[in-house]
Amino acid sequence: MRDRLESALRASRADYTEIRVERTWATGVSFRGRRLETATASEDVGGCVRVLSKGRGWGVAAFTSLGQLPAMIERAQELSRAIVLDEPIRLAEVTPQKAEALLDLDGDVRGVSLADKTKLIQAYNGEMLSVSGDITDTIANYHDEVTEYWFVNSEGTSLHELRPEVTLSGTAIARKNGTIEKALESIGLRKGWNSVHDFAAGFKQAGERAAKLLRAPTVRGGHYPVILDPEMAGVFIHEAFGHLSEADFVYENPQAREMMTLGRRFGRKVLTVGDNGAAPGLRGTMPFDDEGVPTQDSVLIKEGELVGRLHSRETAARMGERPTGNARALSFRHPPIVRMTNTYIGNGEGTFADLIRDVKLGVYACSAFGGQTMLESFSFTAAYGHMIRDGQVAELVKDVVLAGNLFQTLDSIERIAGDFRWNQIGGGCGKAGQAYLPVTEGAPHVRIEDALVGGEVE
Amino acid sequence: MISQVLEALRRGSDAGDACWRRSERTTIAFESGRLKSAGVVEESGLNVRVVKGARVGVAGTTATDAPPADVVSRALASAALGEPLAIEFPSATTFPSVSTESAPAKAASVGVLADIGRGLVERLSRPDAQINVTVEREVAETTIGNTVGGQGSYRATGVSVSADIARVTESDVLMVYDHYVGVGLPEAADLDAIVDSIKTRLGLALTVVPASSGSLPVVFSPMGLSAILLPLEEALSGKTLIQGISPLQGKVGEPVFAEGLSIADDPTLPGRAASYPFDDEGVPAARLPLVERGVPRNFVHDLETAARLGGAQRSTGHGHRGVFGKPRLSYSNFIVGSAPSSRHPWSLGGGLLEGIKDGLLVDDLIGVGQGNVIGGAFSHPVALAYRIQNGKITGRVKDAAVAGNVYDLLKKIGGWGDDGRWVGTRWSPSLLLEGVSVAGR
Repeated sequence: MRDRLESALRASRADYTEIRVERTWATGVSFRGRRLETATASEDVGGCVRVLSKGRGWGVAAFTSLGQLPAMIERAQELSRAIVLDEPIRLAEVTPQKAEALLDLDGDVRGVSLADKTKLIQAYNGEMLSVSGDITDTIANYHDEVTEYWFVNSEGTSLHELRPEVTLSGTAIARKNGTIEKALESIGLRKGWNSVHDFAAGFKQAGERAAKLLRAPTVRGGHYPVILDPEMAGVFIHEAFGHLSEADFVYENPQAREMMTLGRRFGRKVLTVGDNGAAPGLRGTMPFDDEGVPTQDSVLIKEGELVGRLHSRETAARMGERPTGNARALSFRHPPIVRMTNTYIGNGEGTFADLIRDVKLGVYACSAFGGQTMLESFSFTAAYGHMIRDGQVAELVKDVVLAGNLFQTLDSIERIAGDFRWNQIGGGCGKAGQAYLPVTEGAPHVRIEDALVGGEVE
Repeated sequence: MISQVLEALRRGSDAGDACWRRSERTTIAFESGRLKSAGVVEESGLNVRVVKGARVGVAGTTATDAPPADVVSRALASAALGEPLAIEFPSATTFPSVSTESAPAKAASVGVLADIGRGLVERLSRPDAQINVTVEREVAETTIGNTVGGQGSYRATGVSVSADIARVTESDVLMVYDHYVGVGLPEAADLDAIVDSIKTRLGLALTVVPASSGSLPVVFSPMGLSAILLPLEEALSGKTLIQGISPLQGKVGEPVFAEGLSIADDPTLPGRAASYPFDDEGVPAARLPLVERGVPRNFVHDLETAARLGGAQRSTGHGHRGVFGKPRLSYSNFIVGSAPSSRHPWSLGGGLLEGIKDGLLVDDLIGVGQGNVIGGAFSHPVALAYRIQNGKITGRVKDAAVAGNVYDLLKKIGGWGDDGRWVGTRWSPSLLLEGVSVAGR
């Protein structure tokens, strides 16, 4: 395949040409309640050509018929020629890479029968259903894939990769007297079949939590010291801060550029934030991004100060900074754009108990349902929470929604524990019509001095 | 392609069907007013379903160079695990003639598409805002076939043009958006409509006024109506019905809503992007009344939901297939209010503002689709909304939220506007509802 792609490259007359080809084998099994909705296997094959010439725009051609490759290179050049630019697009210089980067498949999912995969997720689904009669409905999904990947460009980069991925998720829905509550369990790994056998307890806990939430009071709204668990802290830093650090958000927008000036203080000394596509075995991990640039650990906030941002080769050249290996494409159907990988809040010191010891009345926000951000305003929903009373974790509460201003909230992070862990949740990140891209986050427990928690205010 | 697959299906299974689609989508995107890239996506894919021993399985592939037996054998492996289902494929029949293709749209060069976008950028640009415009053209061919002789093929084109303008100041973010969708290229009047709509809505939004709180009359513009219609779209789905969670279950033939509410789904409308002569399971397209003068009449069904419901229920021709996974239910052209009519001179509020002393016009909400949609309850902060005072819009309202339950609110309709229009594949005028809970902050 690489020879075929490299010879196709030579036919291009553009100044820069790249070809990406992917072949993905995927299986998916899904249960709704006790009923099997689907168990299916699919194969997705295709490529993407991107070309650029001096004074012209990007021409992009994506296709499923690999036999059409020469015609698609021609097509991309036509598209590129149709766009005349007064201000040329430049790409930051990078060292050409040649690599055979086959990630450990950790039990190749292609060798496991659909029946075995169905049995596995059926058992996890059963863990949720068997909790109690209050669990009236469930959704349980298993998905795996292996992607064989080739990337070549006209600067001499030539890559061949094998990327595994497996995700499992469960939603337990409890219903009693007109009240409906749900709880989620979700696992997402850049690994294979060997890593998916130990999650029964997590699914059972989701069932138990949904049932307990039926009886849990709604958190009383107001300002509290809030402790985020590592999952909530990770999702918070991805959504509320991570997207602002993607350089395509700022590079054409003077107001945004001003907001994200390097050196600006974003938090206190305890706060360090980064994005690390090279951390092993995680959902956002890859040896190279989709422009063939090696992934790396990029520090974004160091001891409270903005020190970096995430780049593609185009945004890096435009801003006079260095590429960071963050140009990613959801699949061959899309061109790469600036994306996060594994985004983290750096470790602090001490334990969770140390963090809450002097909290008289606070909220412990756990596990994220999701959130929405509109520039600096955010709203996040925790899956559940606990009150903290006199330094101890107290009763379960529901409807824990955090809302506020990003900059005030980051600046209000006063303590960070030393219990860092990476999330292993599924889902992913959506941006510019490319959803859901595998990413993850990691964080220790984080204490916010003062945050607004929604809910019923008396 | 299809005939080879059907042959493999006849050999290896009791029954089956296949849907093959080839499409080419061209996208021209102006970011911050600049055209920097143009792209095309050519895709062909095959979705196959088999019945073996009364069990149904499905598989999909874009590897169209592989032998058809590969995908059929994967569908059989899927069927081995599937639940028993008495699915009945439609036999050979004639389909209605539906106009789904435009020759000028198909022939339009990248230059022609770029000129459409450039024209909008020029007409909409202003020094204090960033403008994005996207022009997309799709050319597609769909072929279906099954083992009982049902077969069909049609070509379609689709064009969409969208423009958004964002004005960011130190303490405020204002975003205004509009679009055109159709089978053919937009006419001058379609582009004028986008420009008028964005300029008018932006102009009225530059003044910010405080919101009133309380139970108020609220006009939902055609774009702002999503939160009200989404619960009904879910409730009228055969899927929701067979799961036993549709609030409209058992209510067919009974007055549930105000007389003024009628909803239909019509895949046979000529020249609309969601139209088709038959669905992706080979069932002929037909207009389906869903709610008539306040009375629920029908649910949309595909072959699977019809089979699961049993009795006399047949598919209504709303099965939609992607390359991967099993067919799922989808609406085509979702028509709310009266039937689509010719273009009306456009006004924000559609003439409904006149009698309103103090109220709100909702054009866009945040977080539609999150929460307990099926129950009909909604509660959303506004993304774009205007205050109505003494029959006139006095400015934009920020930091307000609207809430209510559509099953309560739709018992009384304050009026329909005269501004019916397409929002994507949905047609509706503005709608005035009384007694919507509005919370200002």
